[in-house]
Amino acid sequence: MSEFDAIVVGGGPAGSSAAMRLASAGHNVLLVEKADPPGSKNVSGGVLWGNDLEAVIPDWQKTAPVERYVKAKGVGFLTKESNIGLEFRSGLFDKNRAGHMVLRAKLDQWLVKKAKDMGAMVATGVTVDRVAFDKGKAIGVEQDGDIITSDCVILAEGANPRVAIDSGLREPLNDKDVAIGVKEVIKLSEKTVNERFNLRDKEGFAGEYVLGFLPDQVEAGGFLYTNKDTISAGVVISMKHLRENDRTYSFDIIEQFLEHPAIAPLVDGGSVEEYSAHMVQEGGIERVPKLYGNGYMIAGDAAGFSFSNGLVLQGMNYAIASGIAAADTFIEAKKGSGVSEESLAGYRKRLLDSYVLKDLYNFRGIDEVTWGRLPHRAMPNALEHIMKGLFIEQGVPKKHLYQLMTEALGESGIRTSEAVLEGYRMLRRM
Amino acid sequence: MALHLVVLIKVVPDGKEVFVDPVTFTLNRSMATNIINPADENALEAALQIKDKMDAKITVMTMAPPFAEPFLMECMSRGADEAVLISDRAVAGSDTYPTSLTVAAAIRKMGDVDIVFAGEKTSDSSTGHVGPGVAEFIGAELASYSRKVTYEDGYVIAERELENGVEEVRIPTPAVVTILTDSNDPRRATLRKKIDAMKKGIITWSLADINIPADWVGLRSSPTVVKKMLPFPRKDRKAEKIEKDKIPELIDNLVKAGVIKLEAE
Repeated sequence: MSEFDAIVVGGGPAGSSAAMRLASAGHNVLLVEKADPPGSKNVSGGVLWGNDLEAVIPDWQKTAPVERYVKAKGVGFLTKESNIGLEFRSGLFDKNRAGHMVLRAKLDQWLVKKAKDMGAMVATGVTVDRVAFDKGKAIGVEQDGDIITSDCVILAEGANPRVAIDSGLREPLNDKDVAIGVKEVIKLSEKTVNERFNLRDKEGFAGEYVLGFLPDQVEAGGFLYTNKDTISAGVVISMKHLRENDRTYSFDIIEQFLEHPAIAPLVDGGSVEEYSAHMVQEGGIERVPKLYGNGYMIAGDAAGFSFSNGLVLQGMNYAIASGIAAADTFIEAKKGSGVSEESLAGYRKRLLDSYVLKDLYNFRGIDEVTWGRLPHRAMPNALEHIMKGLFIEQGVPKKHLYQLMTEALGESGIRTSEAVLEGYRMLRRM
Repeated sequence: MALHLVVLIKVVPDGKEVFVDPVTFTLNRSMATNIINPADENALEAALQIKDKMDAKITVMTMAPPFAEPFLMECMSRGADEAVLISDRAVAGSDTYPTSLTVAAAIRKMGDVDIVFAGEKTSDSSTGHVGPGVAEFIGAELASYSRKVTYEDGYVIAERELENGVEEVRIPTPAVVTILTDSNDPRRATLRKKIDAMKKGIITWSLADINIPADWVGLRSSPTVVKKMLPFPRKDRKAEKIEKDKIPELIDNLVKAGVIKLEAE
């Protein structure tokens, strides 16, 4: 007889959602989180697309500790002197306020407390060593030589899945599979945030940027999210490029982003409240491990469930959806024939039926087009050339748009044939 | 029979986050998070090291409002067997005298205590009174300023770190030992013990439970009066940067001033 019906490793959105679902179905569940308090080791930006939370916390829209809701979404290409951007600011966001800026230190604590209130036992400040196996079946978790037993283990340990790797349930991560995220939380005032981003009340702005001005071959993206009276700003740098360029430092790139002429005025005068760095999963479907086995399931970032197409960067929604799917699979297995590899196969089926695995399959290979010279160098340069031709009067005869675009390809820094081919691939995969 | 060890802890504001108000010279603790007093963590570890070697039961105890509960849980998560919280509105404002008295009454109630461990001093008030005070009130031997403690057939052997050296004392139980900060490396909590702690919970005693009248404690029964807080006077030190080629000259000057002495090789 096991001590617990289920042990959930990780108290982020995936783990807490699983624990809430299990506890409210009457299961005896242990949630283990290494950070104390929960969320204090998290770096996510971030925007929570929380529709899935409704299944475990019906009134989350009213009660969750969110900062602002997404009222405007921006994408910008930065060159040394310019920001060529697109902004979608719309009343359509008001009707279903699903996207919210969150500070994970607050959100994760709240989620874990909810799980506790629903009946889960919560142990924080302790790190599980590995999943314990007996005759090929997961029988619990091992920590400091002790084995805590359970019928099922749900691994929801996040982007750095040490337990899964050390238990042989996941391959070690390669440089290609991860990026490094560096973030600052910059304190301003609510009024200043509203004025600088053209916002009212609870409205928020979420922006993603391509850092086309970086030296060498370094490729990185930037992000800027408005919280109530702070701004979360940071960069995501490809691990491969960090490794290949000895003179490139993540702390230097975030500084270059924050000092860019289009960004600096937005954060001017703010004081840095938090500074943090973490890895981001970028491997896509190719790097999703085996999601379940006899007595265990893997959810959230630990399973590689994060999505980035250069325009959006998401993970929390996949985490919540997969955590709930894992819990539901366990609940069904307990009602039926019990926990086995066959009964937990339902987890993968649930994910295949949902947007979690559908998105990852549909956007297979997306990393090859989001990282590359076309989006990171050619597009910012070419766009700047077109904008300059269109909008800066130079006292010379004006050119047609087509002519400007042809010229722009020449200014882009990559060969025209390469640009056309890459552009086609990008449109197809994005 | 198992040894009964009691460890006294205090929850204090993290010293790194406490500031002296430049105008009133009082301590500003509003920004500080709470921690277990560092020396008390060493006291717990000293008790755990005895339990590692022999059959022993460890009771961790504090006198505080209920906010101290998670810290008692943390002590159990590291290996203490039970936790006692003495919590009563009447003790608010108590200084080290009624605190020692109350803690001693709780120890007497337990009846079978062999060794009491306490941190040598707390990081927030640094009096170092409570350990010796408890020893006095329960009539036990005291080994203060200890850095290492062992137990042998009814005796406590403690290494005491004194100004002019180290002293080893051997005192009979029941004994009180106060442990120096950083004298050992406190172990971490384990998941198994955390789970056990959550299942066990904390024992709460009021003053009535330990037969202490309310008018023996609190601010009125505390003889300490804080008259004034003064900033520590800053001494400006003379500093000079010496370039590499001036080092022989520096050595000559230090020898001349009698600060150092050169010995023939």
